[in-house]
Amino acid sequence: MEGKSIIRVKDLKKNFGDLQVLKGISTEFEAKKVVSIIGPSGGGKSTFLRCLNLLEMPSSGHIYFNNVDICSKNVDINVQRQKIGMVFQHFNLFNNMNVIKNLTVAPVKIKGMTQDEAMEKALELLKRLGLDDKADSFPSQLSGGQKQRIAILRSLMMDPEVMLFDEPTSALDPEMIGEVLDVMKDLAESGMTMIIVTHEMRFAREVSDRVLFLDGGLIDEDRSASDFFNDPHSPRLISFLNKVL
Amino acid sequence: MNFFEQFAVILQEYYPYFLDGVKNTLIIAAMSVVLGVIFGTLMAIMRMCRIKPLKWIATAYIEFIRGTPLMVQLMFIFYGLPMVGIEFPDVSFIPNFSRFMAGIVAMSMNSCAYIAEVIRSGIQAVDEGQMEAARSIGFKYGESMKLVILPQAVKNILPALGNEFVTVIKESSIVSVIGISDLMYGAQGVIALTYRSLPCLAIAACIYFILTFISSRLIGLLEKRMRHGR
Ligand SMILES: Nc1ncnc2c1ncn2[C@@H]1O[C@H](COP(=O)(O)OP(=O)(O)OP(=O)(O)O)[C@@H](O)[C@H]1O
Ligand SMILES: [Mg+2]
Repeated sequence: MEGKSIIRVKDLKKNFGDLQVLKGISTEFEAKKVVSIIGPSGGGKSTFLRCLNLLEMPSSGHIYFNNVDICSKNVDINVQRQKIGMVFQHFNLFNNMNVIKNLTVAPVKIKGMTQDEAMEKALELLKRLGLDDKADSFPSQLSGGQKQRIAILRSLMMDPEVMLFDEPTSALDPEMIGEVLDVMKDLAESGMTMIIVTHEMRFAREVSDRVLFLDGGLIDEDRSASDFFNDPHSPRLISFLNKVL
Repeated sequence: MNFFEQFAVILQEYYPYFLDGVKNTLIIAAMSVVLGVIFGTLMAIMRMCRIKPLKWIATAYIEFIRGTPLMVQLMFIFYGLPMVGIEFPDVSFIPNFSRFMAGIVAMSMNSCAYIAEVIRSGIQAVDEGQMEAARSIGFKYGESMKLVILPQAVKNILPALGNEFVTVIKESSIVSVIGISDLMYGAQGVIALTYRSLPCLAIAACIYFILTFISSRLIGLLEKRMRHGR
């Protein structure tokens, strides 16, 4: 495999009680590449993504982030998570903080950035998205699309090495999906390493370098974006694509 | 004299008994809630923590207290503790200090269990996604609690704590059975002097109602202010 892989997953399994949700996943994610993960509901996409930053603790297997096994007991996951951004379906902006505080709290408290530096950086990012007039708003005063774009900025404030997206547009009204996808597209073009769980097939096809089909806790197909959609091999992927396209 | 005349006359002549009772009732209620909040917070933390034995102890305590009558708990503290050698000292400048202490200890031990549940449910009512977002960005568990979860939980907890204060004002009337001169005890004293039980009880009821009514109004105001100012 060409390029430097930033995340390597080895035989990852995850059980919830008796239910085995991930049944042994091995794959790699290269720096500066965009990988989309699609698959039927309940297939384990969210669980897989949440394992990558240990929001879910894997039952067995290994996850190497920059060659560090983050599942190992003597790794401080809090430090690793600073370099792994995550964007949620339901935004999860901090409801008790206004926009600017949402953006600056982590860089100031965790990375020791000064308040002024953080503020400047936040305002610059907000301006770039035309959201600088929302700096003092609270999450409850924002539209879904605004919330999600700010959630993306919140992750970016930490200068992550990789960004995880779990269905970032699924909770949005249709007219707001575009503005979020545009931000993600820009991010992809800027060279961010991204892993995206999505139901937006056209978007996945357009921005991804690679697409994974995750079904029944296993990666059933793993191809370049164009092959994935034009020449799918797995019968289950073929029937899945027939249903959604 | 009809009922209302009796009511007025008794109030006029014996109001110091009632006033003294109100003072003690408020002291007991306030102390119980303050101590209840302190220990209730500890109990809530124990109940939510990952160390199993602590969790079990807290759960057992909370369930037990909530499942037994306050009267029994009060008797246990007042009569039971001295039997096993734990006695509250008498302090010369505060009359009846040991009784008073027993009352406050029993009331706060009781209140603490309810408050622990108020705090726990207030924290659990905060959307799980808030904690996940905080953790995923790199905050430790404690930092996430302090910066994100607790400020939101407080908004759920404070109004419920206010209600607990109102409940404690009413429930505290029970301490009169161990001879603490609270409002109920004062009313009984006046009954003994006047042999007019109905007007005396009516006066006590009115005063309790005024106390709880004012308290809940104040809490309502506080709640409103919190909802507007964030
Ligand atoms: N915390 C949990 N406890 C128990 N079971 C869970 C938990 N989280 C997920 N599961 C189960 O694991 C399976 C996979 O869930 P997951 O959320 O990963 O699917 P998904 O592919 O993201 O689906 P969707 O497209 O609906 O988001 C489901 O059967 C789900 O019920
Ligand atoms: Mg999901």
